[in-house]
Amino acid sequence: MIEQILHSLSLFLPETTLTVFFCAAIIVGLVAGRTSRASLYVALIGIALATWFAIQQAGSSEGIFTGMVVVDPFATFFKLLIGMSAIVILLFSLYSAEVQSTAHRHIEYGSLLLAMTLGMFLMAGSTNLLMMVLAIELTSLSSYVLAGYTREATDSSEASLKYIIYGAVSTGLMLYGVSILFGLTGATDFYNINRALATGSVNATALLVATIMIVAGFGYKISAVPFHFWTPDVYEGAPVTITAFLSVASKAAGFALMMRFFKTCFIDANALGLPAGMWASLQGFEWNKLLAILSVLTMTLGNLVAVWQNNLKRLLAYSSIAHAGYMLMGVVVLSDKGLAAVLIYFIVYLFMNLGAFYVVMLVANKTGSEDIDTYKGLGYRSPLISVAMVVFFISLAGIPPTAGFIGKLFLFAALLDAKWIWLAVVGALNSVISLYYYVRVVRNMFLRDPERNAEPVVFSAPQVVIVLALLIPTILFGLFYSPIVELANASVVMFGMK
Amino acid sequence: MNVETIFFYLLGAVFVGSALMMVTRRNPVIAALYLILNFFCLAGIYLTLHAQFIAVIQILVYAGAIMVLFVFVIMLLNLSDERRLSEAISFKKIVAGGLSVALLLELLYIFVYRKTDLPTLNAERSIEIGTVESIGRHLFTKFLFPFEVTSILLLAAIVGAVVLAKRRLD
Amino acid sequence: MLEHYLPIFMMILGGVLFGIVMVKLNEWLGPRRPTEEKLTTYESGMEPVRTARERFSVKFYMVAVLFILFDIEVVFMYPWAVAFRELGIIGFVSMTVFILILLIGLFYVWRKGALEWD
Repeated sequence: MIEQILHSLSLFLPETTLTVFFCAAIIVGLVAGRTSRASLYVALIGIALATWFAIQQAGSSEGIFTGMVVVDPFATFFKLLIGMSAIVILLFSLYSAEVQSTAHRHIEYGSLLLAMTLGMFLMAGSTNLLMMVLAIELTSLSSYVLAGYTREATDSSEASLKYIIYGAVSTGLMLYGVSILFGLTGATDFYNINRALATGSVNATALLVATIMIVAGFGYKISAVPFHFWTPDVYEGAPVTITAFLSVASKAAGFALMMRFFKTCFIDANALGLPAGMWASLQGFEWNKLLAILSVLTMTLGNLVAVWQNNLKRLLAYSSIAHAGYMLMGVVVLSDKGLAAVLIYFIVYLFMNLGAFYVVMLVANKTGSEDIDTYKGLGYRSPLISVAMVVFFISLAGIPPTAGFIGKLFLFAALLDAKWIWLAVVGALNSVISLYYYVRVVRNMFLRDPERNAEPVVFSAPQVVIVLALLIPTILFGLFYSPIVELANASVVMFGMK
Repeated sequence: MNVETIFFYLLGAVFVGSALMMVTRRNPVIAALYLILNFFCLAGIYLTLHAQFIAVIQILVYAGAIMVLFVFVIMLLNLSDERRLSEAISFKKIVAGGLSVALLLELLYIFVYRKTDLPTLNAERSIEIGTVESIGRHLFTKFLFPFEVTSILLLAAIVGAVVLAKRRLD
Repeated sequence: MLEHYLPIFMMILGGVLFGIVMVKLNEWLGPRRPTEEKLTTYESGMEPVRTARERFSVKFYMVAVLFILFDIEVVFMYPWAVAFRELGIIGFVSMTVFILILLIGLFYVWRKGALEWD
């Protein structure tokens, strides 16, 4: 037993690091005094180290801690993604007016970001219902508090409250679903659930009810319709840094857990005559059709509502709902190609979405507003930032030669490969709608005159460096995409699966 | 009829009675007191099902800690004039009532006709699982890792509670 | 199985009965000669002017939430204590880690002044 635990711990270094730094961030912050930024630096070092250790684990594939979590290429990929976005968010935070104005609460900011990252790392690797719920709870709990972090602002408190209420309801539903699934199969381990379901003695209706309830929990994390109601209000009310983190890392962790859950629990492991890289859903339970409906609803609603938004944060919130819809298409097709497409999309999404949010934050820092009118003539006041924003937006819309195009290209290729033509058509139509509202912002920046006596907006050198660090990959991966494709193809391997 | 069945029906009767009293009381504090009685009965019912640990938790956490929070919220909101609370029949109430009746009929149908294909439980095994010793044994071997993660979850919750509830942070 | 709980049941019953009997006994045995003065809330003291049902301060919320959180900690200690002998050193170390992590929480709450009554 002791040897087992020690062996597990050796493979658990990234999470252990995060735990130690989480505790350290609290203690250091308390000792260093109330306005110290020490906790933020502790968090930055902790997450950077944890990400480094996660990279070291590339290639290993093993279940640890009596099968509660696994370390496999799939989990490592998402840990890398989450860790990188957490680092970027912490760098944002050092230059965020919102975060810096609440200096007396830096301990909580740093430590809860660490806790949230830890929760998401665990989500990426969970293979047990119990761990799954615990990891989601750890992530959600930290994000509730961070969403309401700037308590002085009313909308921030409101955002936090809405987030908690929706979160409590969807976690409750998920717990119901989990308990039904446990009752049906008598197992909490994903692999054992699959084995129990494969015997075919489980009541199909009960299984469907349980799955729908569990999907409520996942849907809430990835903000899929109809579990998206919290998204616009929380994204608008929360500090921009946290909004950006929720829209990328939280979504990535939710997708990681959902893909693992469906792929390990609900596929027919003994299906015969399938082409390589394709899987089959359990006999008599075609859950991918359920996800297809969810995907269509999510992207259509997200895009249609985004058209009417005038607040940039709300616009990006609906756009992120729509992107969740696109990514769900990759899960529907039941193939390694589909999963790889989702992973590619996430790499691309990391850069372009964080970039867009960062520009919104910089502009809000200077002007105090996130309204679309603020962007009128910004192209003349601050050319570099505006050009960056244009690139991020056309990448989000999926136009070549940006990385966003590559993400969409692989998704649609996977769909057509698996003969999901109608879904591909819906996805393509949605991309066209999305173009409208992205271009609307771009038009405001370059084709509208600035208001009179508007001065040039100047940003400091470190801020420009961060923008460039996000801008260059967004263009580069649109032209040289083979590295990310290779990384994604190598990362679809899950522990214990063919 | 053995002792357990007698106790089950006895506790069940008090359970349903206290639940009815709770939802029909106008004074929220009295309703809360009936809820406590309800929790104790539920703990008793868990015992008749040999779920020893759950019974203890029911009293320790629900009747103890959660009730403190309930009573506090009642005191904070301080609904002084509960006699004037409206009793109008709204669309929401009709829908809620309809759903409740449907659920009741459903359950009655299942219990009367016993139309379940659920496997019968092995009584000895369920007795063995429910004891505090066996929970302890499993929690600290197979589920040791989730147990440790819980401590981190609680720590994050403590930090979060202080951030959200403390008026002046210094 | 259920007869193991008989002592607990007897104790709950005894506790409830003791409470009721004592109050009722007082009522039956004690002489009651109410006067207007005696029926006031404070026989000698200020006149109560407002409703007794004051709104509670939100400060209690902090206490209630922290109470729940540390109560959950105890929930885990209970099965641990019962199974302690079988668990051996692993059980001891794991509970030590658990408590240490929560001690940081206590330290934080203390240093933040959340235990003080402003």
